[in-house]
Amino acid sequence: MKKFSLLAVTAALGFVAAAHAESATYAIEPNHTFATFEIGHMGTSTNRGRFNKTSGTVTLDKAAKTGALDVTVDTTSLDTGTAAFTKHISSDEMLNVAAFPTAHLVATKFVFNGDKVAEIDGTLTLMGKTNPVVLKAQNYNCYMSPMVKREVCGGDFDATIVRSQYGVTYGLNYGFPDTVHLVIQVEAVKQ
Amino acid sequence: MLAALCASAGFAPALAQSVSGPVTYQLDPAHTFVTFEVLHFGTSTLRGRIGPVLGEVTVDRAARTGDLRLRIPVDTISTGMHILDARLKQPDLLATTEYPEAYFVATRFQFDAAGGVKEVRGEFTLRGVGEPLSLYARSFGCRHDETLGRDVCGGDFEADLKRGRFGATFGEPFISDDVHLVIQVEGIAP
Repeated sequence: MKKFSLLAVTAALGFVAAAHAESATYAIEPNHTFATFEIGHMGTSTNRGRFNKTSGTVTLDKAAKTGALDVTVDTTSLDTGTAAFTKHISSDEMLNVAAFPTAHLVATKFVFNGDKVAEIDGTLTLMGKTNPVVLKAQNYNCYMSPMVKREVCGGDFDATIVRSQYGVTYGLNYGFPDTVHLVIQVEAVKQ
Repeated sequence: MLAALCASAGFAPALAQSVSGPVTYQLDPAHTFVTFEVLHFGTSTLRGRIGPVLGEVTVDRAARTGDLRLRIPVDTISTGMHILDARLKQPDLLATTEYPEAYFVATRFQFDAAGGVKEVRGEFTLRGVGEPLSLYARSFGCRHDETLGRDVCGGDFEADLKRGRFGATFGEPFISDDVHLVIQVEGIAP
């Protein structure tokens, strides 16, 4: 009981992640971590592009219900399935991956619903510009992986960003939407 | 109804003349892909993109009929992970050596009040096994494409299937039997 109260107090003070023994670090599993963007195409269909390389770490304290993450997306790994489209988005008219080869997601606020992560509030840095981003969990779970013999936690998250806030304004005047939907698969392995 | 469709899609009356009978649209390889989604260990969603999908769609909006024949090159599967792509091509999953293509053939079209395609029911053949499949439109629209100088119609469709019914059973139940398909499609009029 005494221990429990101490935990509650510590959590309330907001520095539990560093102090509490249940805090664990998870490494992003690149084979099951992909960010895909979705953007409307001329009012007809949805164009998609997937970034094939992502790395980083997640810190979770299940008891304290806190977490943090630091994830880097290799923007040069963009893959749309259409070479010309990939090349155009990668060019200096849009993501300018030669000058900005990474996007960076940092978060220190994890919102739990029961035992599950429901939302992650952080910032996304893209093309050198940083804006707040809210990732909503569509799925979240942890399991013991028979492959790596360790606990794996992960899920599906999505977010909506406004691309002009990052300086990606190409096509806005032709009617290409400013809002971009991000669909993220993520799994991370306990270290 | 047709006028409303044209007005809502924001393009000129040119389309009204061109769609007075059946129109055959060639699928645009830059904007026609299938993405499968399957839940991995009850945790996250594995995705793989297949395409471009090849084929044509004939639609007669006035008669509210349609005919669609698609060739789906499953050997183009791309998950972003070469090891998984290779695994998916094996005989207990997509069996791409023996069956490099899947097919979808449909003649049962449903249209919404505005004349947009709402649902397409047909037969999906994967690994040589044919099963009924319905595609539901999440969105559908037409436009006059200035770059192409043609009318373009298309949208986002989705469908659900059980992979086991086609014999693609590896990894069950850790990797779900339920497969969700997310389909981007655009067709270009003559």
